[in-house]
Amino acid sequence: MRASLFITCYNDTLFPQTGRAVVRLLERLGVSIDFLPAQTCCGQMHANTGFRGEAFSQAKRFVQLYRDTECVVIPSSSCVAMIRDQYPGLFEELGNDDLRKQFAALLPRVFELSEFLTDKLGVEDVGAYFPHRVAYHASCHGLRGLHIGERPFRLLSKVRELKLTPIANLDRCCGFGGTFSVKNAEVSTAMLDAKLTDLLATDAEYCTALDNSCLMHVGGALHRRNLKMRPIHFAEILASTEGVYL
Amino acid sequence: MSGPVMDPRLAPPFPKAALPILQNTQLRKNVAHATDVIQTKRNRLVAEKTDWQELRTSAAAIRAHVLANLATYLDEFEKKCTAAGGVVHWARDAAEARQIIIAILQEEQATEVIKIKTMTSAEIQLNPALEAAGIIAIETDLAELILQLGQDEPSHIVVPALHVNRQQVREIFARRMGLPQLPDDPEALTAAARTYLRKKFLSVPTAISGANFLIAENGSVAIVESEGNGRMCLTLPRTLITLAGIEKVLPRFSDLEVLLQVLARSATGERLNPYNSLWSGVVPGDGPQRFHVVLLDNGRSEILGRKVERQTLQCIRCAACLNTCPVYRQTGGHAYGSPYAGPIGAILTPQLEHMRHGQSLPYASSLCAACYEVCPVKINIPEVLIDLRAKVVDQEREEVKRWTDPMYMGMKAANLVFASESRFRLAQWFGRLGLRLFTDKDGWIRKLPSLGARWTLSRDLPAMPDQTFRNWWAEREGRGGKEAR
Amino acid sequence: MISNSRQMILDRIRAATRSETNRYDEISRGYIRAGTLDSNGRIHLMTERLHEYGADVVECAPAEIRQAILRQIQLSGKHKIVIPPGLSADWLGEGVNWLPDKDLTHDQIEACEGVLTASSAGIADSGTIVLHHGTEEGRRVISLLPDFHLCILYASQIVETLPEYFSRFPDPPRLATYISGPSATADIEMTRIKGVHGPRFLSVIIVRDDS
Repeated sequence: MRASLFITCYNDTLFPQTGRAVVRLLERLGVSIDFLPAQTCCGQMHANTGFRGEAFSQAKRFVQLYRDTECVVIPSSSCVAMIRDQYPGLFEELGNDDLRKQFAALLPRVFELSEFLTDKLGVEDVGAYFPHRVAYHASCHGLRGLHIGERPFRLLSKVRELKLTPIANLDRCCGFGGTFSVKNAEVSTAMLDAKLTDLLATDAEYCTALDNSCLMHVGGALHRRNLKMRPIHFAEILASTEGVYL
Repeated sequence: MSGPVMDPRLAPPFPKAALPILQNTQLRKNVAHATDVIQTKRNRLVAEKTDWQELRTSAAAIRAHVLANLATYLDEFEKKCTAAGGVVHWARDAAEARQIIIAILQEEQATEVIKIKTMTSAEIQLNPALEAAGIIAIETDLAELILQLGQDEPSHIVVPALHVNRQQVREIFARRMGLPQLPDDPEALTAAARTYLRKKFLSVPTAISGANFLIAENGSVAIVESEGNGRMCLTLPRTLITLAGIEKVLPRFSDLEVLLQVLARSATGERLNPYNSLWSGVVPGDGPQRFHVVLLDNGRSEILGRKVERQTLQCIRCAACLNTCPVYRQTGGHAYGSPYAGPIGAILTPQLEHMRHGQSLPYASSLCAACYEVCPVKINIPEVLIDLRAKVVDQEREEVKRWTDPMYMGMKAANLVFASESRFRLAQWFGRLGLRLFTDKDGWIRKLPSLGARWTLSRDLPAMPDQTFRNWWAEREGRGGKEAR
Repeated sequence: MISNSRQMILDRIRAATRSETNRYDEISRGYIRAGTLDSNGRIHLMTERLHEYGADVVECAPAEIRQAILRQIQLSGKHKIVIPPGLSADWLGEGVNWLPDKDLTHDQIEACEGVLTASSAGIADSGTIVLHHGTEEGRRVISLLPDFHLCILYASQIVETLPEYFSRFPDPPRLATYISGPSATADIEMTRIKGVHGPRFLSVIIVRDDS
């Protein structure tokens, strides 16, 4: 199987280790990875901030770039939610018939990483080893946007030596929200405080999620407060094997 | 103490209005407690309902059907209500609605009027107008009474005084009702309100209500409540005025079989509200013998014409979106600067203001979509929020100050960057270089300038890695690829 | 000016909804309409719900209504009871100060300690008593001001679900009050307090006309 990796703009720039982990994980499972260097951003930041025309140009770029690929894997649930939930509206308003058709044909082939593993590859045990206590933070876009459900838990439950520590108020936002964290920094911080309280109560060593955006937010506060818990992307846990941590 | 400003034309933007509230630990504790209690009850009762999703689907479909056929149903409601002895008035905007109501009250020679909690009345700022006309408005909902006597403002659509605790209520009642010995247990406080209001119910001959639903089929009005103050106001006075938004209509009496179920569960976590009242026009010998309905547009017909935004009008004011909203749970209602708080307020208020006020409200959300998930009439609030943000940005595009707005300029620059691979690479390179200036020796950024300072207010940022993913990939491909790390 | 606004609003609405087809009979109705319980099950559920709300419930045979009413009133300790004008005289036993509502003033009703009414339906799922305010249920005010409401509900009037109530009454009543528990508030710190303005005590006699 071939999969084209859409790494996303912020993972590319700030969290390359997540991309490396995805490559390691998928290649271990026998998937050939392509990486189209012309990729940039899905347009989520612009769309969610109200820059509709700008978001459209990025959405169009995405579709034109990936329309001929076998399937696209994205290690970020919010970017996948952007594509599924917002592209249709953008293309209906600003696109033409060609673009809409191309998008409709591409959409079923776009997967978030955990979806790709469970739905497309049909695996739950990816052969990972991660001997730590881990709290899973359900990012809003994965939970309510993609209805990701039990997939991440099924995958994590098969990781050897990993101990999952349940977190209270699993469905509550960490307060990131893209530009919300800047435009409403104080409220965002109050939400983050509440999330940290729930996280710290788990006594986990790592906090993981499908999205580095939430993890950047949570991790930034953990570091600010000199706390030991560390953020780690879901892919990095699944890529880990005995002797090789990412 | 200057109270919160609840007029969207005058209120400070949301982030600023939220600041003093975030400092008020007592208020935040009260809000968190109340929303927790309601949400737990709501979740329990929704879970027991095996057809909950089907009920939501039907409720949304009924409301959408009404909106698509609104003129027909309003026309039918007016005919049936009039035939049943009611008088129907139409108000284009808040000012006209106030004028109509005051004219009726003056004709009744009213000096006092008892009121059932109504959001629409707060929307049109009715109480100050009544006061200016020399008419004393008496709020009869316990929470509204607490706020009125305490000169405070509502912070929730269903439980407006959730930010006030029992000691504060005791203090207000003791002072305003002249009861210095009043204890602070809720039972005693409620009893004090009962005694205080009983006299009013039995003596004031005019009342104002809102409406939960208007039924087109027979011109009746439905009101749901818990305390019985509603029944008092609907039954005892000589004259009743009902103020209702034009979107409140339902086609048939039997549509209540869906809407009452979803409303009660969503609003208060009950299977049905303790009291539901329905009446058509004037019933000889029973209840008010003069009955007026004021149908209020106030921007609603404009919302109706917008494709994405129309669903805003499906709202049945259950406030489930407030209780679940992580933003509302931190700030309570006052930060929204409008009687309509929380996610629904964030989309409704700016639209009622024709997008001329309240533009910060669509941004008062992390787009977590918890609101959409609980909404009993399936309003896709995040979708509307995003669409309204686009309208706000379209306004910014015309403003000169955009050139000095770092967010605006940043977005424009980012768009140029994302349009080309080489520009994106270049931006990554410059970004790394720029961030180095702010990176401490341990590889962490603790303080950034400008917009970045809003991030580093509470969050550190890891330094930008030396190698982007794309560079690593290119290097690996150069080496022949297929080898981990 | 007012009719002017009417026209203007309706015109705006019509302009906003022009050329739309959204038909009433196409609304999806996948929710549960009919219940599955038999008469005993419905009564059991109704009773359970009423108890949850703190209401008092007793059952009696059709021939025992009069005695059951007397007993409940004695237990309540009330004496002066207002009744709707059309209430069956067979229900009214000795030893109670019955006050028929013949244009009583609000103050006269307020001076009563309780009210006895029939009812139009019971909805078991929510423990709801339905009043349509006919001559056996009386004007709205009589079941509002007195602190104690004694209500007669026939087993055959009890439906399981709210939609079943609506199918039973295809013609909308002119007036309706649905009572699902005594007057209550949770406005102070979400503490549920019974009895704000409506009757604080609700007592229901279920008449077993089903066996």
